[in-house]
Amino acid sequence: MASTTGGKKMEKLSYRSIAAFLNPVQNKTSRILSYTGLGIGVLLLLCSVQMYININQLLKEKSPRRNGFDFISVTKTITNENMGKDNRFSIQDIRELQEQPFIKDAAPLLSNQFRAKASAGNIIPFSTDLFLESVKNEFIDTVPASFTWQPGQADVPIIFSADFLEMYNIFAPAQGLPQLSESSIGVVNIILECYGPGGIQQYRGHIVALSDRINSVLVPENFLSWANQAYGNSVNAPAARVYIKTTDANDPQLLDYLEKKGYHVNKDKTKFGRVKQVLQAVVTGLGGFAVLVILLAMMLFSFYLQLMIARSRDNLQLLITLGYSPGWLSKTVSGRWIPVYAVIIFIALLLTALLQFAFRNIVLSGRDELQPYLHTGIYILAAALLLLCVTVNYRLIRKLLYRL
Amino acid sequence: MTITLENIIPTFLENEKIDSSGIWNNRLVINKGEQIHIVASSGRGKTSFMHFMYGLRNEYTGHIMLDGKKIQTMNAAELAETRRSVHSIIFQDLRLFTANTVFENINIKRLLNPFHGAERIREMASRLGIENKLHKPVSTCSYGEQQRVAIIRALQQPFHFLLMDEPFSNLDEANRKIAMELITEEVIKRKAGIILADLKKLDFFEASRIIYL
Repeated sequence: MASTTGGKKMEKLSYRSIAAFLNPVQNKTSRILSYTGLGIGVLLLLCSVQMYININQLLKEKSPRRNGFDFISVTKTITNENMGKDNRFSIQDIRELQEQPFIKDAAPLLSNQFRAKASAGNIIPFSTDLFLESVKNEFIDTVPASFTWQPGQADVPIIFSADFLEMYNIFAPAQGLPQLSESSIGVVNIILECYGPGGIQQYRGHIVALSDRINSVLVPENFLSWANQAYGNSVNAPAARVYIKTTDANDPQLLDYLEKKGYHVNKDKTKFGRVKQVLQAVVTGLGGFAVLVILLAMMLFSFYLQLMIARSRDNLQLLITLGYSPGWLSKTVSGRWIPVYAVIIFIALLLTALLQFAFRNIVLSGRDELQPYLHTGIYILAAALLLLCVTVNYRLIRKLLYRL
Repeated sequence: MTITLENIIPTFLENEKIDSSGIWNNRLVINKGEQIHIVASSGRGKTSFMHFMYGLRNEYTGHIMLDGKKIQTMNAAELAETRRSVHSIIFQDLRLFTANTVFENINIKRLLNPFHGAERIREMASRLGIENKLHKPVSTCSYGEQQRVAIIRALQQPFHFLLMDEPFSNLDEANRKIAMELITEEVIKRKAGIILADLKKLDFFEASRIIYL
C-alpha cells in the first residue's frame, strides 16, 4: 500500500487543510468571554496557591523545633470551677494524649516532692527556694553528654531555662548581683540543698546547658526519682505539666483537641496557628472560587466547541467518509487551541510572578523569609492546567466526532 | 488485494430479490485488477452494496472481507486507512462540500494521501471541461459538473479498487466516454480494479465480469 505511488511531493496535512470545511461560529463574544474567564480563573488559582505557600513560609519556625518536631508544654486550664481540685495529669490523661494521631509522643514533667533550695555561695550572695523538674531527654532541645547522674554522685547537672537567665539578668543589678552571660553561667557553682521528711543533703549543682524550649530547672530524671523517694518519701506524683511532641504545633486538629480537653497551651507557640488557620482558610476559599471560575470558563468554551461541531456536522461527517480518521480530526481540531490556551496560561503565570515580586518587595519590604520568585509548584500547576485544558478539549471533540 | 463476499444478505431486502441475485447470499471473490460491472434495476440494493463495501453501513448478515479482514469489525482508524489507500469511491449522491470551491473539494481528498501533485487537478478538470469552475463554489455547478468533480476527486489517491455507483448518470454520451477514458487511465496506473454499478449495462465499459444483482 504505497501512499505516494505517483506522488510529486508530500504536503503536510494540518488544521489549515481542513479549516475551509469547518463553519466558524460567528458569535465571538462567548469565545472571548471564555478565554477571559479562563485567564482570570488561572490567575486567581495560581495566586492563591502561591499565597498559601507564602503563609506557610512566613509563619513557620516560630517554636524551637528539633528534628522536624514541635514541642509544646500543656497544662490544665485553671478556672474558678476547678480551682480547688487536682488539676494534674493522670496516667490515663497522658496515655490518651499519646494515642492521638497528631501527637507523636507525650511526656509528663516530674516535679520535686521535697523542698529544694539553691544558693550560689559567696561570689553571688543569692539564695532561693527552687523547683526541680525532669522530663525524658528526647524532649529537651539541648542535652549535653554530662547531663547524667549516678546514685551517690554529689554533682548534679542542671539544664536551666534561657528565659529564667534573662529574667535574672534583669533584676540582678537592682539586687546588687552580677549579671551573667550564657557562657559564664556554666562556671557558677550552685549549692543545691534538698530536704524533706527523709533528711537533708547538699549537692553541687552546675548548669550544663540552657534550654530555649522548657521553662524550668531540669535535673536528670533518675536523680529526681531517687530524690523524691529519699527526701520526699514518695514515688513520682502526677505531673502538672505535660510536654507534647508533634510534627506541627499549629495543626488545627491538635489545637481543637487541646481546646476540647480544656488543656492550656503556651500561646506563644501556637498563636500563629490560629492566624495561619484563618489565612489559609481565606486563601483556600479563594482557590476554590478560582477552580469554579476555571470550570465555568471551560464549560462555556465547551459549548462553543459543541456549537461549532454541530454547525460543521455534515462536513465533518463527509471528511470521515472520505477517509479522514476521527482520531486525526480530534487531534487537529483540538490542537488548534493549544497556542491559545498556552498564551492565556502564560500571561496568568507572568502576572502571578509580578504580583509575588510586588508582594514581597513592596508589601513586605523585601523580607528574607519569602522568595521574590514563584515556587516551583506554581510552574508545575500552570503546566498541569494547560495539560488539563488541552486534554478536556481533546476528549470533548473526540467524543463529539466519534458520535457523528 | 482481494475482496471476498460471503453470503451477504441485507437485513432490509425482500427474499425474492435475494434469491435471484448474483451477489446476495453468494460467495464471490474479486481480485485487484478485475473490472466488475454490476447491473441492477432500482431497488435491488445497489447503493447499499456499495456502502457495505466501503464500510459505511452494516445492515447485513454474512461477511465482506478485505484480504481476510472483515470490514464490519474494522474500527474508525482502520476504516480511515482503507478509505485513504484501498477503496476510492464515487457516490451516486456525489457527497460534495457544496459551500466550498471545486478545487477545495478535490484537493481535500488529494491532501489525505496524494497520488498526484496539485497541478494534475487542473489537467483533469480541463479534460472533463470544468476547468473554468475550479474556483467557484460547488453549489454554483450543474449536477453534471458536480458529477465530474466527484469523479476527479476519486482519482486523487492511491487505491486498489475504485467503487462507482452510477457515476455517469448526469453526463451526456460524449462526456461519459471522456470520463471513462480518464478513469481507465488512472486505474491502469494503479493496476487497480473497478467495481461499477449501474442501472443497465454500459457498452463503453469493458468489464471482465458482469454480475446481475
